[in-house]
Amino acid sequence: MGIVARSRVKSPWIFHLNTGSCAGCDIEIVAALTPRYDAERLGCVLVGSPRHADVLLVTGPVTRQMLPRFIRVYEQVPEPKVVVAVGTCASSGSPFLGGQMVEGPVDKIVPVDVYVVGCPPRPEAIVKGIVTAVKKRFG
Amino acid sequence: MFCGVKGETMDVITAFLLTFPIVFVISLLFDGIDRKIHARMQRRVGPPIIQPFYDFIKLLNKERIVPAMASSQIFTVLPTLAAASSILSSAILFTSVMSGTSFGGDLVVVFYLLAMSSVLVTIGGSSSGNPYGAIGFSRKMTMLIAYEVPLLLSFLSVFLKINSTSYYNAILTQVKVGSMLALAFPSMAVSAVAFLLCIPAAADAVPFDVSEAKTEIIYGPLVEYSGPYLALFKLAKASSNLSLTFLACTLFFYLPALFGDGDSLWLGAFIVCLLLALILWFLTITVPRTVFARMKVGQAFKFYWIVALPLSVIAVVLSALGL
Repeated sequence: MGIVARSRVKSPWIFHLNTGSCAGCDIEIVAALTPRYDAERLGCVLVGSPRHADVLLVTGPVTRQMLPRFIRVYEQVPEPKVVVAVGTCASSGSPFLGGQMVEGPVDKIVPVDVYVVGCPPRPEAIVKGIVTAVKKRFG
Repeated sequence: MFCGVKGETMDVITAFLLTFPIVFVISLLFDGIDRKIHARMQRRVGPPIIQPFYDFIKLLNKERIVPAMASSQIFTVLPTLAAASSILSSAILFTSVMSGTSFGGDLVVVFYLLAMSSVLVTIGGSSSGNPYGAIGFSRKMTMLIAYEVPLLLSFLSVFLKINSTSYYNAILTQVKVGSMLALAFPSMAVSAVAFLLCIPAAADAVPFDVSEAKTEIIYGPLVEYSGPYLALFKLAKASSNLSLTFLACTLFFYLPALFGDGDSLWLGAFIVCLLLALILWFLTITVPRTVFARMKVGQAFKFYWIVALPLSVIAVVLSALGL
């Protein structure tokens, strides 16, 4: 692995986007960053601006209101970027699939690298999802 | 121009050129140690010590985005200037200690370069066209007024004490006295306290990071910066922190002075000063940012004008009285 690829794998900065989720997955993402699971040991930092991010963590089925904003945030993330769909809603649209206000799931709109399923998924699974995504893409 | 006691001009130039890679490596390394200790104090494993190097290389190889609303020339030039000025400030200090040379007024230059790098970051933020950048700009300007005045007065008290504006004369004074400046004179002890109080604000560390405030105004001036620009700003911040702590430890706590003035001691003295700078970094940046929560702009401003400013005024008065 080259030094650039290694650096990319070792320093995935996360931006978290809620596209109409119930906040269950969002709370699990926050839990994954707490000292107990400590995602920073793998170099993950939660950043507040999509301009700084490498990994886009998307939760929720994409609602009609969120669709243009979701595409805009996706385009604001500089290349190379990775998308991780967190939760069953983001992965498959689950109970909301086909609803009149739902445009999702996420992979209908942007390419998704890793799906982390669960309602909500456990923090360990989210950390694993991030690591798998960057390794698959850059490693 | 050089008023050193030893060292040919060529040696000084070689030492000066050598310091740039040293500043680059040491500042990022200290930043990594800071993050590791911060994590350990929160009972976490924490990132590896070389994490800032990974971040730097990764950011250098990312896409550069210049927002349509930004004034693109200012936006793209400023990161380089900010990194250059803060690395230069560290390089001047390192060269002085390593080669035993300095020029008159270099402390003024270092003070100017340090202020310059923080001003450039905020101007970059305000040129990005993002409202958060503008809020960050106004907050940083408020903080600059708050901490630059006590910092400048602290410098002034040192100038009065050593009767010179040259950095190396401050070190020579300590070698001559055979003790650290802060231990030898009461005025310098007060001045050192004022200086150390100003470091967290100058470093944008947590109790005083109102201009960046990542959970509030999402990094303020840095909000629109991506890729290599962000990498340069991170480097600028790390090396300005290094410069501040190194300056504090050599101006006030020059430990090698206690062991006399040996000719072969200079590289050793430099390493001792670096270790001392790391300890000061821990005490003035890592501990406050782990222990305290963020202040409001008004509270931070009040702290500097009620606590640090009177201390630095007292230091100047004591220094002028010859204490």
